Amino acid sequence: MLRNIFPNLGFPTLGRFRFTVQIIMLFVTVYGGSVLGSYATNQLTEALPSLACAYDKLSSDKCILVVTQHQLHHRIGQALVNAKLVTVKVLIPTLISVGAFFTVFFFLNKAFCGWVCPMGTVQELLFRIGRRLGRPLNRFDKNNVGKVRPIKWLMLLVLGLPLLAGMGVAANELGAPYCQVCPSRLATTLLTMDAEQIAVQTSSGLGFFLNAASNALFGFVIIAALATRLPFCRICPLLSWNAMFQKLSPMRLVKKQNDKCEKCSICQVACPMDIHEIGREHGSKAFHEDCTLCGRCAEYCPDDGVIQIKFFGIKLFGSSLAYYKNRVKKESPEGLPKGKVIWLTQIKADK
Amino acid sequence: MTSNDIISGGVIIKSTALLTVVFLSLPLLLVAPSYAADAEQHQAHMQHAGDHEGMAGNERKRNMREMVQWTSFPRLKMMMGGEGGEHKQVTLMPKNIAPSSVDAYSNDIHAANMHRQLPYDLVLATLDKPATGGFHWLSAREEQVDKVLVASMVYYMSERGSKDPTAMFMLQKNSLEIIPQPFPREHSRYRANEDWQFLVRFNRWPLAQQKVMLETQNGSKVEFNSDAKGIVTVHFPSDFKASARQGDMVARNGDRRQSSDFVLAAELVNAKKTYITGFNGSYGPDAFSQRSLVLGLGFTFFGMLGAAPLLRNRKADKKSAMKTAPAISTQTNKKEA
Repeated sequence: MLRNIFPNLGFPTLGRFRFTVQIIMLFVTVYGGSVLGSYATNQLTEALPSLACAYDKLSSDKCILVVTQHQLHHRIGQALVNAKLVTVKVLIPTLISVGAFFTVFFFLNKAFCGWVCPMGTVQELLFRIGRRLGRPLNRFDKNNVGKVRPIKWLMLLVLGLPLLAGMGVAANELGAPYCQVCPSRLATTLLTMDAEQIAVQTSSGLGFFLNAASNALFGFVIIAALATRLPFCRICPLLSWNAMFQKLSPMRLVKKQNDKCEKCSICQVACPMDIHEIGREHGSKAFHEDCTLCGRCAEYCPDDGVIQIKFFGIKLFGSSLAYYKNRVKKESPEGLPKGKVIWLTQIKADK
Repeated sequence: MTSNDIISGGVIIKSTALLTVVFLSLPLLLVAPSYAADAEQHQAHMQHAGDHEGMAGNERKRNMREMVQWTSFPRLKMMMGGEGGEHKQVTLMPKNIAPSSVDAYSNDIHAANMHRQLPYDLVLATLDKPATGGFHWLSAREEQVDKVLVASMVYYMSERGSKDPTAMFMLQKNSLEIIPQPFPREHSRYRANEDWQFLVRFNRWPLAQQKVMLETQNGSKVEFNSDAKGIVTVHFPSDFKASARQGDMVARNGDRRQSSDFVLAAELVNAKKTYITGFNGSYGPDAFSQRSLVLGLGFTFFGMLGAAPLLRNRKADKKSAMKTAPAISTQTNKKEA
């Protein structure tokens, strides 16, 4: 179905269509407040399943983690320290926020990561630049990727810190620990020419430490993104947060069992999150918790109908040999554009 | 998968592991700055919670400075008490004005109780808990025979259900009005060395070339003039003294949210009646007064260096690419066949 839509809109491939959506959403999330109004960030979801930063003074929305930390810090934490029962009344705003989050998440599922998140878009833009510069591609094999995957779940434990800060046990700077270390805070504010966030706090030791760690992480990510696909996404707390609700959305990746998969594995080469399971599993196991629904596996699967993106069982996009032949002419599964970069090793191989 | 993928993956893992250790060690930092949460320290902590609540400032420090009259313009002084959160109690004390009532305007202009009068005992008004969160307008009016005094401010409540306050801000509430264009949103605030715009109007008509006076608790007094559209661009002065930055506004948990009050006032004579309106709020020191851009860039560069090895084309890369490129090409050719 998507394949029917985007050619009519002038997009030759799903990848180009997704890239255009990413750019549009980058402008909406980073600069949307200048169009939708200064107070738009309080009018939309206030619980976006992507890293839309509240520190960005032109942003149009903010991510679910901002709201969750705030409520843990100022509402639930306070209720606990005042020896009050954490009643339903105390939890209602949090439940409303999660409800608002799920209302939008229901329709796009993990596609918020692969199509909407501004930090994801920035990393993919940097990766494209790295391809043009002929930088090597660093990947995780199936042994290494298993060591990185648990980190995103450990990141969710950090939600305990704003609760403790609200109780007065932890320092106030730990009231929003995700925001303190999130590279999206630096990336999106720098995109609006605001240098305040990249300047580290000097008023407190803990604030200084957190900001320094954030800046170092940001610097690491923007360089790593030149030679690694989506480096920050591997440990992003929103990847795990979204993964908790992944099975509840009707939008999903579906893979049929196919005997040719064991000999092919192009889909796992194409996957920017190095999900090797996509090459050998099928059914629900193929829709891995790390999947961002970018659709590249379906684009680069050379067999008809094996990998599909479906919404309520309706196929939005499915793999096909004809599409695959056209796709690889423009870009390799690893993301290397054909004929547009000087790749000395390939020239030597051709010789 | 090539050996080089394993090598580069190992570099990524080592770097990721280092950053993971950094993040997971954060709980250990609870020991250093954490203190027993007694009610008084927690109260100070709650007062600094959030940028807009921080704009209310450290009340004990403020109360001491309030003993010195720093402006004669009408204003509303906000005081917070209670346990915090939903039990927080906000009271308003009109200063330099003796209003007959104190009014509150909700950002939901279609609500039945959008405009309501607050409980007021001629000394203090108590702010009720509005139905929606977000920005609310508070106003006090005193009408004399030949003079009308108005004091206004904006209060932000961190609750869900807020509406865009622009329409409410632009509603006529008094004759002579100063309206922020816009008011700082959540996670933002008025700060020294920043320019913020306000609309000055009389009976809904913008006032061109109207003199507007800014007076701050730190002692600054600055005049501005509105343009042809009634917009005045106010540059908040950098008047926080170094001694104040080091002073006792630091909570024991290290929070150093500095704040000072200001009032923006205009005066107009019309039909033998003098209208004086003051819009008051609080502002903080310069955004970079407690931040270091140089150190920030330094740590960013440090992080970049950490990832630099990933950019190297290793000899093993080239050899493996020569081996794998034909293999992928062969696979592609097979599929196409």
